[in-house]
Amino acid sequence: MRSRNPVDVYGFINAKLRARIGKMRQDRLVENLLKAPTLVDAVALLRDSPYRQVAEVYDRTGDLQQMELVLLHTEIEMHRLVTKYLEGRPATLVDHLLAKIELDNLKNTIRLWYSSIVRRRPIRFRSEYLFKERILGPINWVGLINATGWEEVQHLLEGTDYQAVIDSFTMQVIEDEGLFVVESALDRAWYVRLMEILNTLSPRDGEVARSIFLVEIDLRNLTTLVRYGRYYQMDGPSVSALLLPWGRVATSKESTHYLAQPPAERDALLLINRFYSGLDEVAVTQKRGSVHSDEPGVLENLKIEEYLAQRRAELYQKILGGDPFTIGLVLAYFFLFKEETATIKATINGKYYGYSEEYIRGVVG
Amino acid sequence: MNLFTRPMRLLTAVVLEETGDAVVKALLKLGVMDFVHLNRLDPSQMEKLSSRPSAINRTLLEDLRHRVEALLRQGHIALPTSQNLDVRRLERPDMELYRSTLDELTASLLSIKEEQKQSNQILMGIEEIRRYIDEDKGEYLDLRVGTIEGDRQSDLAARISSFGGLLESLGEEEKLISLTLRRDVAQVDPLLEKFGWTESSDPALQKKAIGIIRTRLEGERQRALEGRLKSEQAADSIIAAKRDDLFDIWSNLRLNELSDQIKGYFSYTHNTTLFSGWVPADQAETVRQAIMMASDGQCVIEWTEATEVDRAEVPVAITSPKVLKPFQNMVNNYATPEYGTVNPTIFVMVAYLSMFGLMFADLGQGFVLLIAGLLFSRSYKKNPLKSEGMITRNVANLLIYLGLSSMLFGILFGSTFGLELFPALWFPFEAVVAGHAPSGSLVTDVYGILGITIKFGIVIIYAGLILNWINLTRKRAFLTLVLDKNGIVGGLLFGIGLYMGFGFVNSGYHSFPSQRWIAPAVAISLLGLFLRPFIHAFIEAKESGKRPAIGALVMDGVMEWLVDVLEIFTGYLSNTLSFMRVAGLGIAHASLMESFRQLSGLAGGAGGLAIFILGNVLVIVLEGLSAGIQSLRLNYYEFFSRYFTGKGVAYRPVGLTTTSRSRS
Repeated sequence: MRSRNPVDVYGFINAKLRARIGKMRQDRLVENLLKAPTLVDAVALLRDSPYRQVAEVYDRTGDLQQMELVLLHTEIEMHRLVTKYLEGRPATLVDHLLAKIELDNLKNTIRLWYSSIVRRRPIRFRSEYLFKERILGPINWVGLINATGWEEVQHLLEGTDYQAVIDSFTMQVIEDEGLFVVESALDRAWYVRLMEILNTLSPRDGEVARSIFLVEIDLRNLTTLVRYGRYYQMDGPSVSALLLPWGRVATSKESTHYLAQPPAERDALLLINRFYSGLDEVAVTQKRGSVHSDEPGVLENLKIEEYLAQRRAELYQKILGGDPFTIGLVLAYFFLFKEETATIKATINGKYYGYSEEYIRGVVG
Repeated sequence: MNLFTRPMRLLTAVVLEETGDAVVKALLKLGVMDFVHLNRLDPSQMEKLSSRPSAINRTLLEDLRHRVEALLRQGHIALPTSQNLDVRRLERPDMELYRSTLDELTASLLSIKEEQKQSNQILMGIEEIRRYIDEDKGEYLDLRVGTIEGDRQSDLAARISSFGGLLESLGEEEKLISLTLRRDVAQVDPLLEKFGWTESSDPALQKKAIGIIRTRLEGERQRALEGRLKSEQAADSIIAAKRDDLFDIWSNLRLNELSDQIKGYFSYTHNTTLFSGWVPADQAETVRQAIMMASDGQCVIEWTEATEVDRAEVPVAITSPKVLKPFQNMVNNYATPEYGTVNPTIFVMVAYLSMFGLMFADLGQGFVLLIAGLLFSRSYKKNPLKSEGMITRNVANLLIYLGLSSMLFGILFGSTFGLELFPALWFPFEAVVAGHAPSGSLVTDVYGILGITIKFGIVIIYAGLILNWINLTRKRAFLTLVLDKNGIVGGLLFGIGLYMGFGFVNSGYHSFPSQRWIAPAVAISLLGLFLRPFIHAFIEAKESGKRPAIGALVMDGVMEWLVDVLEIFTGYLSNTLSFMRVAGLGIAHASLMESFRQLSGLAGGAGGLAIFILGNVLVIVLEGLSAGIQSLRLNYYEFFSRYFTGKGVAYRPVGLTTTSRSRS
């Protein structure tokens, strides 16, 4: 089949998304939200924004997690809208990005199930915070949350894209090792499928999308190395198993050297600067009256993650300035949209708990 | 309404510093002065002046005001407006007090919201169980009937409720109903065992239990719903109770912001305060008296006429009656006219409505637009807080005019919902488009319609040129008035072009007119155009005494001339033909209506009526939008480009009605 002209494929969506991006920048919602002194002020800002419904839910329920559910719904709708204007392989890629939301919802559902069945902590109303409508595949969310055993979870996920991964774990493994291993395997499977989809794109789209996702993978691997290798002080082989096997970081000498050292001696600064130079100092001293006892460690980690998030933002800015008739603009829009919704979530939660603007900025990245 | 921009005068005043605050209040109340920084004074005099750092941080004022607004909005209270501002109540803001009032109120509010959240969570738990019962998903529930040992029912009920479950009495033989979720069975089983639970195996009791538990769940749900609603109302009422305080804080903060904004333009000597600003000439005396009164007559006021200042520095105020607001907005959206030039609003109104009417002529559809406009306007008036959707306040008002225009042209063309219910006053547009114009019709085919719109375009273009000539005369730009592509020479060349074009058409497309005056007239006009930059350079050199570089002047002159000639020959032609879109859209409108009329006739009955109604709706929405956009485009590109330079600076006085955005 003859491939369509990129202008035909992306002309309309490009104009539509650029208009939305322009509006996002003009509104400066993210910046204003971060500066809002209290939760009430943050909610007031949402009233005049496209997130009006989120503020209405706050009025009705006072419940932040209900607000997050509305945001998730908005995010899903946005993916569907973009898919509607695309066709063929680019649409498949966007669907796969929606699959990431489905995957995250699945992880949240299984986490809640784990809490209820394995940890035996009643989840009560918390199941109502889950998104239970269809996202992509026919998943019985209600069934999953009410499953009384792992076998039932496996049975409910039969025929879905997650079956192979879920079937590879037994109840015993989950009880012994927790859900982290299952979640990592699910994430990895999503990335494997992503790489397969990238190979089917047109050469130009493939090049742009690969340049984005390989950097995404590098940044994710660096975050993993810092978070688990330094902050949680996990041993080298365990951290290594968590790395995604693509990009520059996973197979680099620097990563191997970093992991070979005792956890306390691992130098995150050196490692990051090898790949993305410019991160000067991350050491944070304990402030008087800090909210958390381990605040310096948390802030250090946040500072690194914020730095990496900035590199990610730069990447998308570059994409926005590039060829408009590629999948790059769509991916950049997703990034900006997710950034906005993530900031809204982080801000309303941060303001609720009385965290400072600086702290929330660190969490948002 | 001013036919030209409002005449302005520049005020410069000196008052004693001790009367400065009173003067600020007076000026704020009047709200007519567009302040300028005192930089026109002699540099040696400027050295003697100083500025004073503001005693109040305006950003803090704004931040605090936004907090007040956020609280009011949380309480669903309409925000105060400039109507709530009273300059007499302007006082130094007690920021600490304001902050603590707002903090206190926010803390109380958040505590109520926390209660609301808890009610919501209880409700969610009940809803989940209720949903499973309603959807017959018994497999997720664990309903038991039995008895416990001893009198520990309330203890067990509390323990079960920690799982989100319910314990209810069955009402006979001390039997109890326990309803929990099956996923919690691993915790519930040992719990019931601990209380000595003995299960009943009577199926009749189980059935009865479901009915009882449904009633209990409904009761619990109602309670939780009421609890949540009560919290929502409590949140509103706690803010409502503080409404007056919040309004007072807001007003004082806003007045201080505005006052500080005015003081930002003030300069000081040891004992005096100096300021300067533009006011409309018709307000000059009022402003003078206000300053005199506020300063107890101890002031010096000087006026500078706009003619003494560079035109580009004079702010432009255009006033139009309120009814012309939609068209005033069209002008504002384009740009600000130059000071002293024609106020385009009334001309835009006539041109826009004529164009729309020609494209969308239908008495019935126009009536629908009129009704829609009236309904939307009424809804906005009734509910001033209503957020604007696709039909904004401005569009709603515009729809009223569009409806009237469409109705008028509908009468001229004899069309009502695409039907010819009465004879056309001018000619039957739809019959002409359909090819069966009645005998004696003033227009008999689509070429006639095209001809009308082209002539209409010529009128619009010439109207634009005449307005330009008036503007240039008022600006005393006589060289441009005569020798410019939009000047008299441009108009003459356009006229010659039209004469040639119509002559060619009238000859049956065989030959152009060949009168002897044509070639010399064209040649002289082109020569005039060519000479303009040289004459301009000559005048400039004479005034400034500097001789221009001849080589560069010749190069620029030739290039400019070539571009101007190209623009005149292609620009005027394309601008004129551009008006054919008016005919095009009018023909499309008539064709669509004819199609729907025929389809409706073929279908007949209710189906036919549905097609007729749907067709009209489709035409009103799509054609209406299209005609509106095209009219705007023709005004902006074909009409404005002739006379509207858009080089003006908008007049932005500081007053109580000043919005925080308008002068930020």
